[in-house]
Amino acid sequence: MNLKTIKVRVSRFDPKVEKAPHYQTYEVPFEPRMTVMDVLDYIYENLDPTIAYHSHTSCHRRVCTRCNVTVNNKPGLSCHTEVAEDVTIDPLPRFKVIRDLVVEGL
Amino acid sequence: MSEIKSDVLVIGSGGAGLRAAIESCDRGASTTLVSNGALGKSGATMIAGADVTLDGAGAARIGLPGNEEDSKEKFFHDIVIQGYHLNNQKLVEAYVRDAPVRTKELIDWGIKYVWDGKRALLTQGVELNRVLVDQVRKRSITVADDVYTTDLLIQGNTVVGAVGVDINRGEIKAFRATSVVIATGGWQRAYSFTSAPGGMTGAMHVAALRAGADLVNMEMVTFCPNVILWPPALRGDIFPYILIEMFGDLLEKHGRPFLRDEYDSLIYKIATTTEWNKLIYSMAATRIVLRGDGSPQGGTYYSIKTVPTNIVDEAEKLYPGWKWLRTDFSNLMEWLKAGNAVEVAPAAHYMEGGILVDEHARTTLKGLYAAGECSGGLFGANRVASAITQILVQGAIAGKSASEFSKISKMREPDKSQLDGIQTRLLAPFARKTGIHAVDLKKRVRKIADNHLWVLRNGNGLKKAVSELESILSNDLPRLSLHTAARTYNKEWIDAIEIENTAQVLLASARSSLFRTESRGVHNRSDYPLTNNNSWLREVITRSVKGRLTLTTRPVTITKLRPPKGKFGFEEGILKAVKELGE
Repeated sequence: MNLKTIKVRVSRFDPKVEKAPHYQTYEVPFEPRMTVMDVLDYIYENLDPTIAYHSHTSCHRRVCTRCNVTVNNKPGLSCHTEVAEDVTIDPLPRFKVIRDLVVEGL
Repeated sequence: MSEIKSDVLVIGSGGAGLRAAIESCDRGASTTLVSNGALGKSGATMIAGADVTLDGAGAARIGLPGNEEDSKEKFFHDIVIQGYHLNNQKLVEAYVRDAPVRTKELIDWGIKYVWDGKRALLTQGVELNRVLVDQVRKRSITVADDVYTTDLLIQGNTVVGAVGVDINRGEIKAFRATSVVIATGGWQRAYSFTSAPGGMTGAMHVAALRAGADLVNMEMVTFCPNVILWPPALRGDIFPYILIEMFGDLLEKHGRPFLRDEYDSLIYKIATTTEWNKLIYSMAATRIVLRGDGSPQGGTYYSIKTVPTNIVDEAEKLYPGWKWLRTDFSNLMEWLKAGNAVEVAPAAHYMEGGILVDEHARTTLKGLYAAGECSGGLFGANRVASAITQILVQGAIAGKSASEFSKISKMREPDKSQLDGIQTRLLAPFARKTGIHAVDLKKRVRKIADNHLWVLRNGNGLKKAVSELESILSNDLPRLSLHTAARTYNKEWIDAIEIENTAQVLLASARSSLFRTESRGVHNRSDYPLTNNNSWLREVITRSVKGRLTLTTRPVTITKLRPPKGKFGFEEGILKAVKELGE
């Protein structure tokens, strides 16, 4: 069993009801070579099903680029960006946020 | 409910939908293209290995260094024999007839390719997608992005439009049209392990069924045998499948190359030199796992250990820097070259069955057409020729038929009560405060597919699948509830919609698999291991009558090539077919 966990700070924002984004922190069991997408899937499936991130047509092959987010202040595709320690996930900058990590026009 | 009107509505923005929209627009129909993702960024085409196949003489006619010895008749013959004679031969005739003209047009549109000298124009999904999207953007085609279509609007037996959910806005939208083309690909996402992108959940198969259209051969699912299980970033990638066409072996847990060691040398040769590799390796790998000789994660191992390093390095010229599509495989290649093996397993890859169509892409409903992988019948029980050629040929045919129908028919008013009913059904989970969670139900549904609708099936498992799916549809789905009332990009809501579709489409597949009491091509049953040409040269038709699935059969459509009589086992059937092919 894997006992190591990582702290994942995710930008949450519903522009329909909130004025500004805020961070929510989740504790996620660490798996070797896990990706940002795996982390988000874990949160959605086990901790918080209200979280929004693009995945409904994700290709998982770096091709569609729609899962692009900001990982520790750097842009990265969540399907291919691996996570090794605590991490902060924001939406891509300069895009209008639809909800949480999902943005308009990507 | 907002409304978009057009002569022709094309649902799906993979290759078949793009090509259908181009054709419809060029023939003067006002055309709307709906994508469940974004134009150019969704569907299976963009991540396809993507060869375009055509006969050698046809290739010569369009200016490629082809092969005059070859012919479309030979190509037809090969497709039908390797499709286990279940192919609708009228669809195959259209495929081999139109393959050269569709290929020529891609070349004229500037596609980058390498001609293999025989029957294949080698390209990549990203490139094909780029070329087709470019052509769509040059035309006045209305595009609706991120709309998850769930229903067809119907008047009597005529389709008058569709309804979908705008995922980002959380709004339900109506699309009115005189004719509708479904081009939404397969339903691989009903499985947990698949090589297909998100969104391929069979929503429009189910919508077509609900509207009264027929589905055909829903039991036929091709698995890609050697898809990466780990690491997570590469999970679901078919690159080892691309590699094994050049070199390497699948090994069982003792490191033995099971296909080479345990099968007839001719079967090994076929599996290593033809597209039959998907079926043969998937069956062989599944048998290995079932007898307890698989890898820890339930797969087998892909290895290139016996391949000299300079041969591997030579192949890198085809994929400079070991980049394929947009993924860098150089670390994986170094690891393999060092003598390690990567764990791989069969993944749900391609659906031969789907919405029943004729050679004009007409479904059994008026005004409704289907093209590409979502349609069924072309490849019978086993696809060996390119699905890329399929989407181009059938997309163009569907676009033509739909635009012609829109000229002789009038746009009709949708039925208000049907619209209200759809809206109520789609929004129902929001009204429930407590109930079953989408995530849990999605896992349960996928487990049914993984356990009972995998490479090797049996009657007891299929019966179990049917009863579990029926119970989910009638007892659990009506109790789905959501954790947030936010309509904008609500993942649980998307899952809730997808679960209903995957459960329905799996039920159709499980019922069809149970109905076909034989093994044929990619459909293999341990309780009926023989291919039975004496009584099963028949297509299985699924339709919904008053909300209940009804199954019937019809004889295969034969135009030229008569199937042989008799019954034969898996290996025997392949060897027999090889004789028939005359190779």
